[in-house]
Amino acid sequence: MTDPYKVLGVQPSASDEEIKDAYRKLAKKYHPDQYAESPLKDLADEKMKEINEAYDTVTAQRRGGGGYYNGAQNPVGGNRNSGFSDVRSLIMSGRIADAEQILNGVPPERRNAEWYFLKGSVLYRRGWLEEAKDHFSRACQLDPGNGEYSAALNQAMNQRGGMYGGYNPNQSMNGSCNTCDMCSGLLLADCCCECMGGDLIRCC
Amino acid sequence: MFGYVRPNKAEMLVKEYAQYKAAYCQLCKTLGQEYGPLARMALSYDCAFYALLALSVTGGAVRERRARCVCNPLKACVYLEAEGEEYKKAAALCVLLTFHKLRDDLGDRSFFRSLGSRMLLPYVGRKARKAEGRYPLLAQAAAEAMEAQRQAEAERAGVDPCAEPTACLLGTLFAELAQPEDRQRPALERFGYFLGRWVYLMDAADDLREDLREGAFNPFIRRLGLEGKRELAPEERQAAETACNEALNATAAQAALAANLLELENFGPIVRNVAEKGLAEVQREILFLHVKEKPRRELEKL
Repeated sequence: MTDPYKVLGVQPSASDEEIKDAYRKLAKKYHPDQYAESPLKDLADEKMKEINEAYDTVTAQRRGGGGYYNGAQNPVGGNRNSGFSDVRSLIMSGRIADAEQILNGVPPERRNAEWYFLKGSVLYRRGWLEEAKDHFSRACQLDPGNGEYSAALNQAMNQRGGMYGGYNPNQSMNGSCNTCDMCSGLLLADCCCECMGGDLIRCC
Repeated sequence: MFGYVRPNKAEMLVKEYAQYKAAYCQLCKTLGQEYGPLARMALSYDCAFYALLALSVTGGAVRERRARCVCNPLKACVYLEAEGEEYKKAAALCVLLTFHKLRDDLGDRSFFRSLGSRMLLPYVGRKARKAEGRYPLLAQAAAEAMEAQRQAEAERAGVDPCAEPTACLLGTLFAELAQPEDRQRPALERFGYFLGRWVYLMDAADDLREDLREGAFNPFIRRLGLEGKRELAPEERQAAETACNEALNATAAQAALAANLLELENFGPIVRNVAEKGLAEVQREILFLHVKEKPRRELEKL
């Protein structure tokens, strides 16, 4: 086995706190939920396993202790009431092309919310992110209350916001603070003061 | 569609920046040695990134050497030499991509506007055949991608199918860097796929206004419902660029996920800088600061 300290990216002289920190960072980076819809899931799982093993070894060496990761959940799960259980199992086993072929064979009048969700999942795995988003939104329109569909749409929308890669225009760069931030900060502080019976800015 | 894949300099260590520059100079030198001095004009950031990634995947030994700059004899340059094929492959890629770009221009533009491309083409074509002889796989992948690209654009396809050829080209090129049984090969392929997709979308977003003006094809035009428009009002333009930025963000997020899983030697930090911060910076410069429309003097203030 490789050196567990190397896997965690810390020196053997690192403190327990540093090791925990390094483990948390890595666990966040390789967290299987992020890769749930990606063909790289196996590789991410493998990495996660390596990190868990390394962390367990290190903590055992240093007198044992917790920090286990619980298994991942795959968004395209089995569903008892599904009209497309065959497609779901194909997607789960990674046979994307077969799943798509079945979906494309479904006549337009039978294409319900689940069809759009599954087609979106197939497109998402292939990397066709624009059409995937359109299909997820359509699924949510047809069945607004479904948690599975809205979770998929949310994930796609979050990634478009630039938090996970790319550029987010609304984020202030380098943690800088502009005049608007200062004013709104003062207003908030004033509101808080007023809630507690005091007053920070007399005129508002 | 060149020059979009580059690191965010402000976020680099000084030593990483020096390495990046030295690798860039080495690629320039290799291009000159392999394909003649004029071929140096084909040098691009993208191919420099390809060379760095190749060196990081193979872990080939590198060493620094100080010598004169090949273009300016008064300037001293640091070169980052490597024993392996990495730079030569990157040089071949530069030549092949330039060749296909010139050929593309011939088809797209009027006779006079493509006059420059017409004059260069026979020369570049000879060099491209030389590159093809050395790296038939690279040449074949590039030729197939360009053909599929032409077809997708002729069919006026949507954003995803239009981006597919470039995405697959980079996917193939990156996957080929690792040994067939290497476990990180799928991650490399996926990284290449989304980087290629990002490059295509970035180029399309960058060209959007020009394509509208000239009535040329651009996959974002139909996607954003801008058919028939020639000029965009400022608020329309902002809305279009925000929408393009979102598509780019989704793609960059996937590229970053794949890059997380790569085990890189040599220039790992530079590759990560490109994936996590470089792409974001290019989006900001082009879609929000509009650097290409500003005079140089104004840019220095930014």
